[in-house]
Amino acid sequence: MRKLGCFLFAWILLTGAAWADSIKIPIAAPFTGPLASFGEGMKNGALLKGEEINAAGGINGKNVDIVLEDELCDPKEAATVATKLANDPKVSVVVGHLCSSSTLAALPIYRGAKLPAISPASTNVSIGKMSPYYFRNVYRDDFQGLFLAKYVKIVKGYKKVAIFYEVNDYSMGLMLAFMKEAKKLGIKVLGTEAYTADTTDFKPQLTKFKMMKPDAIFIPGYAPQGTLIISQARSLGMKNVAFFGADGLDDDLMVKNPDTEGLFVTTPFLPDKAGPQAAGFVKAYRKKFGKDPNWFAANTYDAVGIGAQAIKAVGRNREKIRDYLASINSKDRAYDGVAGKTYFDKNGDCLKEAYVKKIKNGKWVSAEKQLQ
Amino acid sequence: MENLLDQSSLFLQQLVNGITLGGVYALIAVGYTMVYGVIQLINFAHGEIYMLGAFLAYTMVTVLGIPFFAAFILTILVCACFGIILDFVAYRPLRNAPRLAALITAIGMSIFLQNLAMMIWGSQIKSYPRDMFPAIFLKPALSIGEVSMTWIQVFILSITVVCMIILHLIIHKTKIGTAMRAISQDKTTSALMGIGVNRVISFTFAIGSAMGGMAGVLVGLYYNAIFPTMGYIAGIKAFAAAVLGGIGSVPGAMLGGGVLGIAEVMGAGYISSEYRDGISYAVMIAVILFKPSGLIGRQIGEKV
Repeated sequence: MRKLGCFLFAWILLTGAAWADSIKIPIAAPFTGPLASFGEGMKNGALLKGEEINAAGGINGKNVDIVLEDELCDPKEAATVATKLANDPKVSVVVGHLCSSSTLAALPIYRGAKLPAISPASTNVSIGKMSPYYFRNVYRDDFQGLFLAKYVKIVKGYKKVAIFYEVNDYSMGLMLAFMKEAKKLGIKVLGTEAYTADTTDFKPQLTKFKMMKPDAIFIPGYAPQGTLIISQARSLGMKNVAFFGADGLDDDLMVKNPDTEGLFVTTPFLPDKAGPQAAGFVKAYRKKFGKDPNWFAANTYDAVGIGAQAIKAVGRNREKIRDYLASINSKDRAYDGVAGKTYFDKNGDCLKEAYVKKIKNGKWVSAEKQLQ
Repeated sequence: MENLLDQSSLFLQQLVNGITLGGVYALIAVGYTMVYGVIQLINFAHGEIYMLGAFLAYTMVTVLGIPFFAAFILTILVCACFGIILDFVAYRPLRNAPRLAALITAIGMSIFLQNLAMMIWGSQIKSYPRDMFPAIFLKPALSIGEVSMTWIQVFILSITVVCMIILHLIIHKTKIGTAMRAISQDKTTSALMGIGVNRVISFTFAIGSAMGGMAGVLVGLYYNAIFPTMGYIAGIKAFAAAVLGGIGSVPGAMLGGGVLGIAEVMGAGYISSEYRDGISYAVMIAVILFKPSGLIGRQIGEKV
């Protein structure tokens, strides 16, 4: 009987929560599949922000409901999720997607439904210009590629680089940006090779690279393949070649592999380089999840914050939220988040700092030399 | 001159890579070809047996702490049992049903096993830990100039060759091999001659699955990446290898695997790495167009 009572109580509580009109903020990212660990950062960041908003009384008295939408970093799935969200009248702003290819697939659907979206993680260049409804609080690949080329030349002094890219929007955009700047700086790109996401055998391409004798190999891809590429290169006898990548390699998967020692990557957020406003976030995150927040977590925490601020200011009308987001367009109107100040240009893109982290003794640490 | 030397060592290294990959394809292809030879079923769940093999060895070593070689042999035995169970549960009840029904069941089993593995081990890529296998595997067995062949490549190739020889002997020199060949010609007549058809078919599944599981462990070692959907791509490639060599023929599977592996690696190395899979399938299509029975397959007229 007591059990039944408990059950009834829980039932009333649950349905009660559903009756009270909460504000849905969907997070669209891969939560299962090979890139699930990236999505986990987004999930944790969003949940923490949602909890903090609710603890502080919600948005205009209404609770925030963080809803997770899994799209596996697959453009087809992303389009399905986007259609579902676009047709849900309770959704007035979306936080997502993670992968650039997913964002590009979802973008026309949100544009058609006049639904504003904020991506905390998609860095492909073309996204901004394609829709007035897409915003992002992360830098673009043209900036990231340029930054990496400068870092490689100025801090590391590499002269000959080979590029091993994945066939997707993120990786190819990053490669082009890097090559453009490398040409200006006089870094020689010896060759480029490609792979697809389902590949596990990288030896044919790596064998070609081995013969080119590069100083370093640039992997503008994601961690699941990155860790395999580095191991297979080492087993082919490429002992002295350095490896570097962009934020796609910024994952704990990389440090589990002893071959990745010395790898360095760009990242939008480093706990020890972030400003004073980040200290509380890092502490709360550690307490709740037992580890340091990565950049996905920090940027998503901010993206949910920006969305919530917009709803608080103008209500839940999609058009009005878009206009509000577009009005965050100068330094003094910027959203002051844990990963720096965010304000959008006319394309909905933003300019933010990049940092470099590297693997030392099997751990991610901030690189001694940053490029500021 | 140095450039020429570089070019030739590049070619040789790619050849070594290609032959190793081909060896793996051949091991998986044998499972397809044997089952097809005996009951004319394309066992699409075979790729999943290969995947299970990779995961079983991983679990045995990391969770149960069994030494690598013992785990390798245990995995082969367990995979053989899986093959028998698969046949018993999914295919035996449909033995006399239309062939299409069994084919659909095979695809169903494939999806089921893939998702089961995802539930048990999660969907992320896992790596064999470095201390799981003897360190010598990663050391070069022979290296001439820039060309090197690691012990793991030697291990994969020698296992492939030894398995093919044993298999050839089983099929052609033993009683059960004779029974297998008899069933492949006519199941009903074989049964009338006193051959235990179901027992022989179980044996076929066991052998094929054992080799599939073995290939799974070898690939886990070689590429250091195992994941629940790994059986799909590898299965399709191995199926292509079996068709290329002539489905139903064991030496054909070996030849087909080799050709496909080399075509894939050379395609990626010399033509375009973006279209790597496309190139290997194009080779398969070309062979099928000009020689529909495959490289060594015999042309058999429709049975009436």
